[in-house]
Amino acid sequence: MTVKIRFFARFRELLGADVITEPKAGISLSGLVKEIAGKNKEGYDAIFDEHGSFREFVILMRNGKRVDIAEAATVTVADGDEIAVFPPVAGG
Amino acid sequence: MLSERERERYKRQILLFGENGQEQLKKSHIFIAGAGGLGSPIAIYLAVAGVGTITIVDMDTVDQSNLNRQILHTDRDIGKKKTVSAIEKLHEYNADITINAIDATISADNIRDLVGRADGIADAMDNYPIRYLLNRTAFEKKIPLFHGAIRGLYGQATTILPGETPCLECIFPKAPPKEVFPVVGVTPGIIGMVQANEVIKYLIHEGTLLKNRLFIWDGMESRAEELCIERNPACPVCGTKRTTPQKRG
Repeated sequence: MTVKIRFFARFRELLGADVITEPKAGISLSGLVKEIAGKNKEGYDAIFDEHGSFREFVILMRNGKRVDIAEAATVTVADGDEIAVFPPVAGG
Repeated sequence: MLSERERERYKRQILLFGENGQEQLKKSHIFIAGAGGLGSPIAIYLAVAGVGTITIVDMDTVDQSNLNRQILHTDRDIGKKKTVSAIEKLHEYNADITINAIDATISADNIRDLVGRADGIADAMDNYPIRYLLNRTAFEKKIPLFHGAIRGLYGQATTILPGETPCLECIFPKAPPKEVFPVVGVTPGIIGMVQANEVIKYLIHEGTLLKNRLFIWDGMESRAEELCIERNPACPVCGTKRTTPQKRG
């Protein structure tokens, strides 16, 4: 299966804009983001805390629908999914 | 009624909005929270467009490190209150409008009075705690919140209409950590313009607002896109299924 992950703002600086990947079947949403983000430590640390949980401000969307980060470990990724991962931008 | 002078001044936009639209702008009052990177372009463009009353609030003084982006302020303003500098410049841009520049720290205690009877709030803040206060106040007063935020060459904007669109806490329930954010002045320029454009359209009832859409700007790639955003039924501010905190006792 093929899945697209899109990072935004600070996450994009660290991990690139769009990643197209072919993950193994049955992978969870959090597992997938961890796998991709794990390629860059700073990028991983920006998204996940020291326990491997999503940082509380991270916004996750799957095919345009919000996914609660607390549920991302139980959501299974499907072929053709587009996942967006972004931080709230704060400056003014 | 518009004066002869105003008809001449706004001639090119009266071609777009008509005299009724211009009068609508003249009758309107916009509250701008912050006279910094976003607040500067928002205030300048709303002033020159002829928004009749602008209230701008900031508690800071002008620092040299502000000048790469906060275009209301110049070298000669260093050390002055931003509100003093802002009111001078905005009067120079347009002496026909009313400008209230208030030197205050926005807090839960004063925000309702500061916003007063404004028709909308432009978010030009640099932190989420105050943005959440703006959001709650906009919801209580049933007025729009024109949200914008920037970092580096990235920015985001959306128009929040209480009861109709997701509110700021639906979209961003948790604040990111505080930081000294990198920024180049063009980014708040671009996002501030999106916000000012939204304000003008809202006031004259024209066009399609950034409702239920988060506008995202990537200045590094010169790419704008948008994400659909939805209300959160459990949102503590605007949710239909929000839980009321129980009193202990």
